[in-house]
Parts: sequence; structure tokens; C-alpha cells
Amino acid sequence: MPTREITFGKAINEAHFAEMERDPKVIVFGENISSQWREATKGLKERFGRERVRDAPITETAFIGAGVGAAIAGYHPVVELMLVDFGLVAMDQILNQFAKTTYMSGGAVNVPMTLRVLTGAGTSSGATHSESLHGLFAHMPGLKVVVPSNPYDAKGLLIASIRDLNPKIFMEHRLLYPVKGQVPKEPYEVPLGIANLVREGNDVTVIATSLMVQEAMKAADELKGKISVEVIDPRTLVPLDEEAIVGSVKKTGRLVVVDEDYLHYGFSGEVVALTAEKVLKSLEAPPIRVATPNIPLPFNAKLEKELLPSQEKIVSAIKQAIS
Amino acid sequence: MSLNEAKMAEIYRTMIRIRTFENAVRKLTKEGKIPARFGLYTGQEAVASGVSAHLRKDDQIGSTHRALGHLIAKGCDLDKLMAELMGKQTGFNHGKAGPYHTFDPSVGALGANGVVGGSVPMTAGYALANQLNGKRNVAISYFGEGGSNQGGVQETLNLAACWQLPIVFVCENSSPEIQRMLGHDIDYPQLSIDNVSQRAKNYGMPGYTSTGWDAEAVYKIAGKAIRRARAGKGPTLLEFKVHQLEGNLEGRLEANEKERQWDPIDLFKQKISRKLDEQIRAEESRNVQKAIEFGLNSPEPTPEQAYTCVFEEAA
Repeated sequence: MPTREITFGKAINEAHFAEMERDPKVIVFGENISSQWREATKGLKERFGRERVRDAPITETAFIGAGVGAAIAGYHPVVELMLVDFGLVAMDQILNQFAKTTYMSGGAVNVPMTLRVLTGAGTSSGATHSESLHGLFAHMPGLKVVVPSNPYDAKGLLIASIRDLNPKIFMEHRLLYPVKGQVPKEPYEVPLGIANLVREGNDVTVIATSLMVQEAMKAADELKGKISVEVIDPRTLVPLDEEAIVGSVKKTGRLVVVDEDYLHYGFSGEVVALTAEKVLKSLEAPPIRVATPNIPLPFNAKLEKELLPSQEKIVSAIKQAIS
Repeated sequence: MSLNEAKMAEIYRTMIRIRTFENAVRKLTKEGKIPARFGLYTGQEAVASGVSAHLRKDDQIGSTHRALGHLIAKGCDLDKLMAELMGKQTGFNHGKAGPYHTFDPSVGALGANGVVGGSVPMTAGYALANQLNGKRNVAISYFGEGGSNQGGVQETLNLAACWQLPIVFVCENSSPEIQRMLGHDIDYPQLSIDNVSQRAKNYGMPGYTSTGWDAEAVYKIAGKAIRRARAGKGPTLLEFKVHQLEGNLEGRLEANEKERQWDPIDLFKQKISRKLDEQIRAEESRNVQKAIEFGLNSPEPTPEQAYTCVFEEAA
């Protein structure tokens, strides 16, 4: 497919257009989504009408629950949650109803809704506007957790998510929005559960998600010629492409996990546990986790930067893993 | 709209079916054949029966943790319902749901719900689907006076009014005189108003309160709200005052003297001929007996089934 350069935000927008065009059962709602300032959903209301594209009042429990109900009743809602932190006011609908209904009903119903959420720190927004929280959602049974890191994946993963009949939480780091990349104009799917080998290398495996893939690549560039770094982006945390991770660690014998989510009980620990269980004997050095410590994110930019993973921290972790 | 004879008989039959089924459930629970205790609907039968008498098969309900009355009135198959309560493989949900999460999409029974108020936002979603597909279906959202205070319920009242959804909110207020919670007279009130329906006007929809033990009154008031929703004129909040009689009806079909004034079946019986009453009771006893036997004779799910249905399995 021929490609052209567009931003991550534009890629998300194109996925919406493609799926709404293809399937009249795809509907979109969320807070302020008809605004021309919202890149992800810009133009949808004008093209598809105010029945299928709706602004919702600031009531996350009600409109996420309404999405769950509409999905059970045969629609394919794409519901936008403005920031993942605000999802915490709607956890019953997300974790009890959205995630568990397929199982609780013994498969009598399914819930083909995609919950799109903006995530991420680095904008001096403080502790309730900056979190990642993908580990929290991946911990609970029943949700597929999608964490795109670039425009190509964003479009293909969102299209695949909307077509998938399960509950999905689709997590978009807001600092990725202006990131540009080559993206086909036509619709295409990036299948859920297949990791992306972003960079091939032999000395050390770096597993990174979302914005941290970009940081890991900068670190790998910085070390070019000295250390051969393999970078793997799982793209979805549930389902997780365990083989890709395990296979790479088997090859390199060294592991660094980079995660913007909190360190404790999270994705970075999950990857380390996985490699310990599956390929412990291949490990030539203790795995290293570069993640955000369990501290609420501060407003002050210097304090915030102090806590977040960065190119610099990743470079030093890689050097430590090799030493 | 007054009740014709056929509708009267239909409502009465539904009430008897619920009562008979639940009395069997009480007994089976005591005998250990149903593995857990849960809230029953005894005393409230007029509400679900009067409401459902207006519903089409493809209209939807969202229910509560006290769901049997709602499910049976909506037309759920008694065999599969009983099997589900026994945790059997042949239940609606293969033993994964039990009484708190029963789903039967074939009759629009879209969920008992284990979280107080939990089904209400979802039921707005059923109504949204109805509004979009233009088939003039209506969704009924059941909750109690305790659930009415949940944030999600209040949010959903607002959302339904903003989007003019075809939904009827049915609050069954089981503390009509003294405010009670789980059988306990609570010290601080959970409602600072007399009627939950008073809140309707603040969200921009009509609200009505009625006794919930008079099936004819329920039928009339529900009919008005359901017709309004079907006509695309938006949501209504109905409140029915009910008395939960379950504690006093152990194993019996009849209420005692004190309860008689609130027992919807006892009150409605006067409007039905004795012959028809006897016929309905005999038939429903047979139906329930058949359901019990179906449940008891059904196999348990296999251990492997513990792992299935976390995700939709591709066909």
C-alpha cells in the first residue's frame, strides 16, 4: 500500500472515518468530541451526523455504561474518555460491567466496545492528569489493552480494535499526537497480540510501550556502534506476545523494560516475571526495570522529569545490563 | 387504558409464576440444592408483571440483584433459569452467572446485576441502541430506593434526558414507611425526600409515584410511560412503593393477615374467577416442578469451562 506522512492524531482520526464508513453500527461518543479542536474525532459529526456522533455530559459512569449497553445491544461503540485518570470515577462500569459481562453471561452476550483514552505524563499536568495506568487495566480479567506507539500502528490497531468483538481499552499517549510517520491511506489492520520488532540487535533486549518506544529508540541510537540494542514493542499488553519477548531475551541474554506506568505490580514486573519463568537460564545479568516510581506525579516540570523514564535513564540501564 | 380480561389473566399468571418459582427457590436453597442465598421478589410481583405486560419480546430490561421477578416477567425460560440458579451447565449462562448476573438476550433480559445501580447506565445503552435503530423498542431500568442514590443512576437520569432516550426508570421503593436497609431500620435516612420520583423534574423528565402492590395501578402508570418512550418523547421516572414479604412467606403461597393488605397476589385474586385462579396455579406449579426437575437432572459444567468465555471466542 502506498503511504504518506501523517501524524499519530491524524492516523487515529482516519481509523474512525474508515470504520464509521464501513459499518453503520460503529458509533462514537464522549465529552466534547464534536469540537474542531479534538483531532481524533474531528469532522466525524459533520460526516456521519449527530445521531452516531454525540457529545456526552461529563458523567463518565453514565456514558461508558451506555456504551457497554449499546455494545450488548449490537452496536460497536467507540467511547472516548478524555484522560485515563478520569476513568477512575467510572471503575464499576469499566471493570465490573464492561470487562466481566462476557464471562458472567457465559458468552450469551458480548461487548464489542472500544474505550479510547488519552494517557501520559510530561505536560506538567499534575497527579490526576498524567497517569498511564495500563497495568491496572491489564491486571483485571476481560479487557484487551492496546498501547500504540506510532502513527502506523495507531491506525491499524484502532481499526483492528473496533472490529474485535471484545472489550478493548485503547490507550493513546498524548505526547504521541504530533509524532509523524508513514501511514497508508487505505484501511488496514494491525492484529492484536503481535509484537513489533522495532529494531533488531544482539546485545540487549529492550521492551518498551507507548511513548517509551520512542525514548528507547533514541537511547538505542545514542548507543549505536557500541551496543547492539534490540527494541520490542508489544503493541498490546492483553493479549501479550510472550513468544516475541521470550525469544528475544533468549537471543540477547539481557533485558531492560521501559514503562511510563508505575513500577510496582505493573507491566515491567510482568515482563521480568515472564522471562524468569520461561528463560531464566538464558539471562546473563539481572533484568532492569526503568519505570515511574510509585509517587503521584508532581506539577513542577523538573520534579516530574525526575520521576519519569527518559532516554538518559534508558541509556544508563542498558549500560548497566551489559556491564 | 383499562385492563381487559385477557390482560388481567396474563398479569395474574405472571405474578403466580414468580411467586411459585421463588417459593421453590426458597425450599431448594434450604435443602442446599441452590448453593447461595439471595434476595427474592416476594411482595413486588405486581411491579414487574404490570410493567412487562406492555413489553415486546425485543424490548430490554436491566435488572438488579433481586432479579427473578423481572426476569420471569420478561419471559425467561423457567428451566434454564432454575438450572442457572443451581449452577448447572444447562443454565442460561452455564453456571457462571447465578442469580446476580443472569443474562437471557433471547427475550431482552439483559442482565441481573450484582452491583447496586450497576445496570442502570448499561440500560441507557440499550435505549440508545433502540433510538438509533428506529424499531421503537423501549428499555426498562429497574433499581431500588437504595440504588437510586448511586452516582451512576443520577448520571444516567441526566444522560437519558439530554439524549431523550426511550427508557423508563422503574424504582421499586421497598422502604415506604420506615427507611430500611437489608432488613435493618437505619438510623440516618438514605433519602431526604419522601418520594424518589421527586428527583425526576430536576433532570427534566416526568416522575410519578404509585403503590406497587396494585397490579392494575402499575399497569396503567407504566403504560403511560412506556407509550411515551415508544413515541420518542423521552424518559420517565416511575416509583412504586412495595413491601418485601419474603421473610413471612416461607414456603407458602399466601400472605398472613397483616401482609394481606400489601400482597399483590392476594389483592388481585379478587378480580379473577376462582376457576381461572385454580387453573393458573395448577399450571404454574407444573411449570415450576418441571423446571426443578430439569435443573436437578442437569450436569454440572466441566472444569475446563472455568476458563472459557473470558473473551468472545471466534466462531
